[in-house]
Amino acid sequence: MKTNVIMKIMNIIFWIVFIGLCIKTGALLVSFFVTLFINSNGAEDTYMGLDLLDIYSFSVEYYIGVASFLIAITAMKAYLAYLVIKLFMKFNLNYPFNEKTALLITQMSHFALSIGVVAIIAENYGNSIMRQGITLQIDWGAEQFLFFAGIIYIIALVFKKGVEIQSENELTI
Amino acid sequence: MPIVVNLDVMMAKRKMSLNELSEKVGLTLSNLSILKTGKAKAVRFSTLEAICEVLECQPGDILEYVD
Repeated sequence: MKTNVIMKIMNIIFWIVFIGLCIKTGALLVSFFVTLFINSNGAEDTYMGLDLLDIYSFSVEYYIGVASFLIAITAMKAYLAYLVIKLFMKFNLNYPFNEKTALLITQMSHFALSIGVVAIIAENYGNSIMRQGITLQIDWGAEQFLFFAGIIYIIALVFKKGVEIQSENELTI
Repeated sequence: MPIVVNLDVMMAKRKMSLNELSEKVGLTLSNLSILKTGKAKAVRFSTLEAICEVLECQPGDILEYVD
């Protein structure tokens, strides 16, 4: 009973996270296009006070690069939140160890790893821009996602073993 | 699988149907069917004991190792 309540609360939280990340991705996209094609001052407040005007003034290509990484990583985070929601939709506490759940958890670990890799590339790109004297204060979160991917992968392995043991148990007469 | 289940042979010898065996042993028809068709991965001693008691046979009469 308590577990069901916790699962429902977590489901709601992840829906909020997913919607929030979708809104952030949309806002970043709109801000990006407004800055490029309508008014370059849009870079001053890209999203929640993020100022990319210095980068835009220095080089439009650098601005496009940084904005693209920001949009891509935010969109990938939104998809990861969607995978978690999908997991909650398919998860059955009475029959937890099944192939679909194990596959979803594996997908989540692979995707978190992809986000980590993209974030590392973005971080290195950001560092190369900063070496030219431009301030760029974005926390890409690469280490966090790589750590998260590792933890989820171990959980996925445990789940796969659980599926094996459960199916063997079902075929034990 | 090297272990073959000869349940149908014993059932034919004792002239017992699957339904009857299921009722007497206390297993569901689907579980007995899984055992009979060789899809079972393991058998509990308690199940084997119940089947041998009902069919009046030895475990070796039901389970056979084939190389």
